[in-house]
Amino acid sequence: MSQGAAGTTGGPRPLGAFRRGSDPGRAIALQLAIWAIGGFATTVIWAIGDDGYYWPVWVWYGLAIPVALQVGLRWAWAKPPGFKRRIAVQAAISATLFACECAAWAIAGRDGVFWPVYSATGYLVLLGLHAAIWGRMSPEREAALADRIDQLTRTRRGALDVQAAELRRIERDLHDGAQARLVALSMHLGIAEDKLADQPEVAAMFRRARDEAGAAIAELRDLARGIAPPILADRGLVAAVESLGRRSAIPVEVEADVPARPAPVLETAAYFVVAEALTNVAKHAPQASAVVTVDLDDQRLLVVVADDGPGGADPQGGGLTGLRHRVEALDGRLAVTSAAGDGTTIRAELPCGS
Amino acid sequence: MRVVIAEDQALLREGVIALLREYDIEVVAHAEDGPGLLRIVNGHKPDLAIVDVRLPPTFTDEGVRAAIEARAQHPGLGILILSQYVEPAYTAELLATGEGGIGYLLKERVGEVRTFLDAVERVAAGGTALDREVVAELVGSRGPSGQQAALAALTPRESEVLELMAEGRTNAAIARSLVVTLGAVEKHISNIFGKLNLPATDDDHRRVLAVLAYLRAGEA
Repeated sequence: MSQGAAGTTGGPRPLGAFRRGSDPGRAIALQLAIWAIGGFATTVIWAIGDDGYYWPVWVWYGLAIPVALQVGLRWAWAKPPGFKRRIAVQAAISATLFACECAAWAIAGRDGVFWPVYSATGYLVLLGLHAAIWGRMSPEREAALADRIDQLTRTRRGALDVQAAELRRIERDLHDGAQARLVALSMHLGIAEDKLADQPEVAAMFRRARDEAGAAIAELRDLARGIAPPILADRGLVAAVESLGRRSAIPVEVEADVPARPAPVLETAAYFVVAEALTNVAKHAPQASAVVTVDLDDQRLLVVVADDGPGGADPQGGGLTGLRHRVEALDGRLAVTSAAGDGTTIRAELPCGS
Repeated sequence: MRVVIAEDQALLREGVIALLREYDIEVVAHAEDGPGLLRIVNGHKPDLAIVDVRLPPTFTDEGVRAAIEARAQHPGLGILILSQYVEPAYTAELLATGEGGIGYLLKERVGEVRTFLDAVERVAAGGTALDREVVAELVGSRGPSGQQAALAALTPRESEVLELMAEGRTNAAIARSLVVTLGAVEKHISNIFGKLNLPATDDDHRRVLAVLAYLRAGEA
């Protein structure tokens, strides 16, 4: 019977359909329709023929099984994956089987002993065994998962550290390599231009070439600053944040308590939080002023940028989302408070205890 | 004029030395790091030190630190910083070192031969030569300082004139650059002095004060 039931649901196909979240109502409605039409058609055939034993009851019964199984499995599949879902799937199948047996016993005339109680006991024992075995395995599994999380955290942080170091190296290489060569080129072009003062057309050509070299240098400089601001590497977070404050189009006050230099990756993340936050204030609240707080202890690096603007910032805005990803990659938290009329506060907390 | 240069990149160092020699300015010694700069400044007593911001061993702001140190030991030494990038904090630190010429130029300005030579002459003579990018950064920013309001009261043309003053230009050069008469520049400058509330002492001194007010407004 259970074989037949599994067959009529069409094997694993509907399970895949659950997973993709396909329209559940339609599949069940279709099966109900088949059930109703099948039952009704056989009842008509029965009515036309002899009016003996009402055999179509078995057709009603058989066609109902896939519907019941489908409903049960859908319920089970809504559970979170893993242990709970496994148990739920087993319970759904057991319940369907038990219901089938009860119905069969009832249709067959309710004679004798209520035999489905035997198989029900079996189902319950199996379910209990499943839960017990899985429950016993779980601590080991949990330990394995904890190890894995630990390893992932470590390697992720390692990757980010490597990335931060690489970015600083790239910035330095740009400075020592391409930029230096372009400067030398620009210098030679400049000398040639100066020597050609008596041939203005040729001098103008040299000047254009020098302008191009100058533009290339400026672009490289902007690129270098975008990936690793030199003052951050040179003077550390507080100096870099103060520099941001000075450069900002709004008045910025910096309150810093940073007794040591945090890891480069934390410095960079904190720097970009302040940079993005100040850019946002200057853009959306040009009349406001801002206070930047940077505080480091042995647990965490805290960066708060608070302005006295009109508030109402969208915490899901593109820039803020980018910052959140940057901070969360370091297991940090970024909070944006921006009630209308109450200014905006962006608070990033980066754990730095090892 | 006696010049020393501290630059670790041979390509640039030799280039600048050749450039200056081409225009009859003698580079009496060169160094490749901060301690080297202090050594040659002590040994040669130059008028001007041309210094790269980044020098070994740290490749950070070694050059600025060494230049400030050299200046402390030799008041009046002109310092012309060459940098790959603009950092107003460094300019402010250098300006705070007192007596003597100060320059801060982006490296590519070396290619603008006349401008560069002009800056070299000016800084060696005790003047100021700030890169227009440094000045532009400072103009774009606003500090919390009390000079803020005074600077905000300047007309756009007056701000332009002050910018050029901060770059270290003479009145005649400012007039040429803005294509106005010398008289008009003098009028603007006297308006700037008035708005910044600078006392009527000698003009050069007020000029420095105006520029400092302007730069400090960019400081924290």
